[in-house]
Amino acid sequence: MNGILNFISRIGQLDRRWIFLIIALVVLIPLFFPLGLPIRATESTRLVWETVENLEPESKVLLSLEYGPSTKPELHPMVFALVRRLLKNDHKIYMTCLWPDGQFMAEDLIEKVIELEFPDKSYGEDYVLLGFRPGGEAVIKGIVSNIRKLYTVDARNLSVDEIPMMEAVNQFKDFDFLFSASAGFPGTVEWVQYASDPTGVPMSTGTTSIQVNEVMPYVQGGQVKGILAGMPGAAEYEALIGVPGIGTSGMDAQSIAHVVIVLFIIFGNVAYFVERKKAKKY
Amino acid sequence: MSGEILGAWIAVFLTLAIFSYLYKDNAFYKIAEHIFVGISAGYWTSMFFWTQIQPNLFGRLWPSKQYDADSFWYGIYDALSWINTSIFPAGGIDKGHEMHLIYLLPFALGIMMLLSVFDKLSWFARWGIAYTVGMAAGLRAYGYLNSNVIAQVRNSTLNFSDPDLPFFALIGNSYFNSILLLVGTISGLLYFYFSKEQKGVFGKVARVGIYFLMVSFGASFGFAVMGRISLLIGRFVDLITYNDAYYHHATIWVLILMVLALGYSAFKEKGSPKPS
Repeated sequence: MNGILNFISRIGQLDRRWIFLIIALVVLIPLFFPLGLPIRATESTRLVWETVENLEPESKVLLSLEYGPSTKPELHPMVFALVRRLLKNDHKIYMTCLWPDGQFMAEDLIEKVIELEFPDKSYGEDYVLLGFRPGGEAVIKGIVSNIRKLYTVDARNLSVDEIPMMEAVNQFKDFDFLFSASAGFPGTVEWVQYASDPTGVPMSTGTTSIQVNEVMPYVQGGQVKGILAGMPGAAEYEALIGVPGIGTSGMDAQSIAHVVIVLFIIFGNVAYFVERKKAKKY
Repeated sequence: MSGEILGAWIAVFLTLAIFSYLYKDNAFYKIAEHIFVGISAGYWTSMFFWTQIQPNLFGRLWPSKQYDADSFWYGIYDALSWINTSIFPAGGIDKGHEMHLIYLLPFALGIMMLLSVFDKLSWFARWGIAYTVGMAAGLRAYGYLNSNVIAQVRNSTLNFSDPDLPFFALIGNSYFNSILLLVGTISGLLYFYFSKEQKGVFGKVARVGIYFLMVSFGASFGFAVMGRISLLIGRFVDLITYNDAYYHHATIWVLILMVLALGYSAFKEKGSPKPS
């Protein structure tokens, strides 16, 4: 018994660099040798899927990208999957960005998904990138009241009056659905407060994992129709639409890393109590 | 294509340089850190100037639609245009705006903010800050009251007369969830009530509030770990991609060179006498 306690106590004093190395290995190995662990969609992911599936054909969907390279691994996979589904279902996509980096993410999305996988969809008729406008929540309020005043030109410097799919789009109420891919402020919370709640236009969201706790009350309260929570949310959505993507490929590593971290937490706590008991004894 | 390969090598170097901090603070990490800070500052300044100040401010003060070479106002513009044609192109700025001279007000407030760098004139900056704070407070008050207070209270109110309401449900309305929500909200609020000493029944209720807060912190920690692992996966996926023959095996070469350099540095450090 004493041997086990001493072993646990020694684990508690382990140099943290060993822990970093172990985490690196448990993340890296499943990326080379995937295990294919099952992915089961949570209720909140299923709600996003149902909301998207229930949209009328040719619905006008506002897709707002509020993230950049630092949170790309979490949000890009879900945006890829969502856009695939929206275009497959013949919806019209209007992209806006509350973050300057969001415009680069949108350009990347157009290049890697829309132009590559949907060559029959044309810019200005099926999708448009309105681009970044600075001002945070003031931009959202501008979109709600008069989008044409805020966006006189799109990201490619085309006049919005000359873009066919902008016809009859004057304010936020003219959209049928909003999806906010958000990594922080301004993002989902601001879209709920200044756009979706006041106008009643339904919205769903995809956020970084760290934001989920902040946004979940809106989902539970019915103000937001579901949430895709980080990379697992993306993987779950990919599983629901039946198109495995970047999210799915990272899930084995994610799951195993979580198990190892939980084990470290348990060992750490046990070691702490063993040490405390020893200290009291002497 | 060579640009893409060079970009991959730079990305690999910067990623591994940042990761090297997990071993210990070192020159590679310092280089990456300084590059990040410098480029971020430059990038944001440039981005905000070209997406905000030039099109939305100057574009509304001197729009090309109302350009008149003989007017005094556009005479100022032409003088500015003579200094820099990319910011002030000939014939006015064409960003689809009409002329709005009211934008002279934010222009003036912006200049006043910049005056904070001069000690004697720094008080001017307070006007700009006062405007920003006042505007933000007014704008957010309604949003928070409507979505976070009224809507949240309305959506979590339990309808006892509803015969279809289940006793328990994992997500959505149920008697159990609503009662739990009520207990958690009240006990959590009472924990932050400091005008009465937390003992007796009041203390016990406040203690229940702490447990709810701990569950919330635990969930936040769990999501934070999940997020960080996702980002790590993202970096590893990129490192694996850049180790391809197309990129001349950038990852493995940079890793070997960095390990050798750090090993040599550690060896030298071990051999040199410690400063007294």
